[in-house]
Amino acid sequence: MSTPAISIQNLTKEFIPPSVMRRGAITAVRDLSLKVEAGHVYGLLGPNGSGKSTTMKVVLGLVTPTSGKTFIFGKNSRDVESREAVGFLPENPYFYKFLTGEETVHFYGKLCGIRGKMLRDRTRELLALVGLEDAANRRVGGYSKGMLQRIGLAQALVQDPRLLVLDEPTAGVDPAGSREICDLILQFKARGLTVLLCSHLLSQVQEICDRIGIMHRGGLVREGPLDHLITIENQTEMVLENASPELLAELRAKIAAGGARLAGEGKPQQNLERYFLDVTSEAKKSDQ
Amino acid sequence: MTANSPSAAAHASAHKLFSLGRAAAIAGNTLRDLVRQKVFYFMLVFALVLIGMSLVLAALSFQGQLQMVMNMSLGAMSVFTMLLAVLASAMMLPKDIEDRTLYTILAKPVSRFEYLLGKLAGVALMLLIATLLMTVFFCIVLWFWQGREIASIRGSVQSELVDAEVAKVMAGTFTPTLFGGIGVIFLRAVVCSALTLMVSSFATSWLFTVIISLMLILIGHIVPIARSAWMDPIQAGVDVPWYLSLFLRLITVFAPDMQLFNIVDDIAVGTHVASGIFGQVTALGCGYITIYVLVAYLFFAWREL
Amino acid sequence: MAGALKGRVIGVAVLLVWGILKLPIETELTAQLQHERLGKYKITASLRQQAGQAGFIAVLGGLRAPVADLLFIRAHIAWQQHVEYGRMKLYFDICTALQPRREMFWDMAAWHMAYNGAAYIEQTEKDKYIRDRQMKEYYKVGEDYLLRAVENCPDSWSLYDRLGSLYREKFHDPCKAAAAFARAAERPNRLDYTRRLAAIYLADCPGHEKEAYDKLLALYKESEKEWVPSLLEKIQILERKLGIPKEERVYIPEKHRLLPD
Ligand SMILES: Nc1ncnc2c1ncn2[C@@H]1O[C@H](COP(=O)(O)OP(=O)(O)OP(=O)(O)O)[C@@H](O)[C@H]1O
Ligand SMILES: [Mg+2]
Repeated sequence: MSTPAISIQNLTKEFIPPSVMRRGAITAVRDLSLKVEAGHVYGLLGPNGSGKSTTMKVVLGLVTPTSGKTFIFGKNSRDVESREAVGFLPENPYFYKFLTGEETVHFYGKLCGIRGKMLRDRTRELLALVGLEDAANRRVGGYSKGMLQRIGLAQALVQDPRLLVLDEPTAGVDPAGSREICDLILQFKARGLTVLLCSHLLSQVQEICDRIGIMHRGGLVREGPLDHLITIENQTEMVLENASPELLAELRAKIAAGGARLAGEGKPQQNLERYFLDVTSEAKKSDQ
Repeated sequence: MTANSPSAAAHASAHKLFSLGRAAAIAGNTLRDLVRQKVFYFMLVFALVLIGMSLVLAALSFQGQLQMVMNMSLGAMSVFTMLLAVLASAMMLPKDIEDRTLYTILAKPVSRFEYLLGKLAGVALMLLIATLLMTVFFCIVLWFWQGREIASIRGSVQSELVDAEVAKVMAGTFTPTLFGGIGVIFLRAVVCSALTLMVSSFATSWLFTVIISLMLILIGHIVPIARSAWMDPIQAGVDVPWYLSLFLRLITVFAPDMQLFNIVDDIAVGTHVASGIFGQVTALGCGYITIYVLVAYLFFAWREL
Repeated sequence: MAGALKGRVIGVAVLLVWGILKLPIETELTAQLQHERLGKYKITASLRQQAGQAGFIAVLGGLRAPVADLLFIRAHIAWQQHVEYGRMKLYFDICTALQPRREMFWDMAAWHMAYNGAAYIEQTEKDKYIRDRQMKEYYKVGEDYLLRAVENCPDSWSLYDRLGSLYREKFHDPCKAAAAFARAAERPNRLDYTRRLAAIYLADCPGHEKEAYDKLLALYKESEKEWVPSLLEKIQILERKLGIPKEERVYIPEKHRLLPD
């Protein structure tokens, strides 16, 4: 098996407030272990304050773990080198407000060692990709929230990374734009990019993720392939086409005779949102 | 929106531990940011101060004006560059952290050392441009007053002395010491900037950084006194209690001796300063800058963002 | 967190080591700059004290010179607008303390006090006894400025020149005047007349006639440029005073000859 794109091993992160007493330390992440295989789109879910963003920051080396280790393509996050092939879009991204959109992407490109014509082409291409061609020469200070999100995505993509870490990529983006971003992620996936994202828009997560992890109070409470998690094991769904009422009556009789119970009819619509809420409320109960 | 397969594959090459290119990119960006924040309008104020001062001096006509224009210009330059250095440097880190711009920068393969160095280089570049602009203004004003001074000598001094006095004025205005002194003003500004960067690397607010840095710089001006009170208390003629002497020692060790960068005070009285001294002061300044950047890095390397 | 703590500890340690290493370098550089400022002359104790008293000055940093200039301008305005010598003296005291190497400050301070101040008293004070005493006080203040001036600017010839003139014109003391001009003549870039004045005034100093005569003669022999009327006159007077035989006396151009005794 190839090296995982992200590997998190027993990660714990405590935030200690800068007081002498060291009281009120917050454990943002608690003994978290996780692997994201190359080529997957992984969705990290969880209520507010459950430690999703903190986990991402540790992976990117922006925050030092209290204990445990994280790796990107086998390289420790501690090392700058591990960030060669990563693009990161933080939550509520913000950029130098005196720069234009184009200059912003340019700047991040230079940080990744891209120069000259290649950088210019890449910048134009990316601005077109995120739909900001018309605003390319306007200062970022005047951008709307959704535009900031888009320019953030463009800068994350500037060095053609193999791994994308997106913290709520569609927050504040209009429905059409959010649809476009989802499509983009699906295209990246088709090209073999690995994506780690977190989002509260569960329908989107359901659509694009291969695998999800649900966090609660810093710990991972559920983890696995998406279809696996939301499949109801003791139920079977049959979708019949052109079934006559007689056939259906016959089936119902057969089911009752065979010892099975007909739980419902129509499409069994277990959706991710329901599942997510169940899992988190269950965890809450066990806390109390 | 379509995702064409991007062609850039920069990460294919091996990662360099330190890249001048990345630091230069940050420096360039910092400079651009400062320029767009209109810091150079500060220079306009400087020019106005010089012109206003000239007018005032012209109104109060009596001798020594050339010297005074020189002193006031150099004094204004000292204060402007130091303030500019502290204010511009104090803003950088807290603002990047607050705006979370730092997340996106450090999520790229940029080390924190490259980031700090780039920031300092950007401010230093800005200070260099500011110093050069001020020097140009200053030279124009000084040239004008030199002309006036010579005219007034020809008009008033007894004939036996005229040539000697004129020669003295000619030789005493645009001296190598003057330009060396301006170079030291710039150097001091960069030292102040590095000091501020160091403070901001552990400080949590912009205001705290400005206050602490300015205080350190002010204290730096009494280092020679603190040092002589420590080194030879008898000569200094003071009998200090132990806590005061401890305080003086702390100042002497931890604050930079800013008076060494005050060569302009000597230029004001026409002292010639040997180039060897300029060399040593420059070396000392570079030492300070190196140490401050290093310590800033040590403070910043593990900092939570 | 452990890393952050380690970083801080190492950082402070680096600052400490640097602080100790830089100490001798800064001491040495300060000494060198001091040498540059005062040349080959040694720092005197009083200068040292003065520096200590003006410790607050150091805080002004790069603003020392312009602040001194502003005070100087204030003093000048105080003089022009409402002759206030007490206030002027205060300003001069501060600005000379701030910038003791600035010759002009000393020069102007002494001139205002010894000449203008004394003249003001002469015109305004009616009581002769008080007038004389107060004028003497003003001369003394002027002398005091110049004495401190030459201490602070040891290579200035013009300050000694001013001091000599003050002794000559206000104190009517040819001995001190001659000594001051002699010091002026030893400084770099001095004008030639300082040597001449040192010798001429010495001629009037009782007990130094022979010494003065030798000096005058040396100048006389050096070049014809020195043959100014006052020098030729003093030579003739001294020759008579010292009883130099006629045949040993020097040649004096016709028009400068004194009447035969
Ligand atoms: N720099 C910090 N200092 C102190 N506490 C922090 C810091 N950053 C995060 N925390 C705390 O850590 C916990 C996890 O925060 P985190 O931002 O990871 O949550 P999240 O899952 O991203 O939430 P959201 O959905 O709101 O974005 C929170 O309780 C938060 O208050
Ligand atoms: Mg978050």
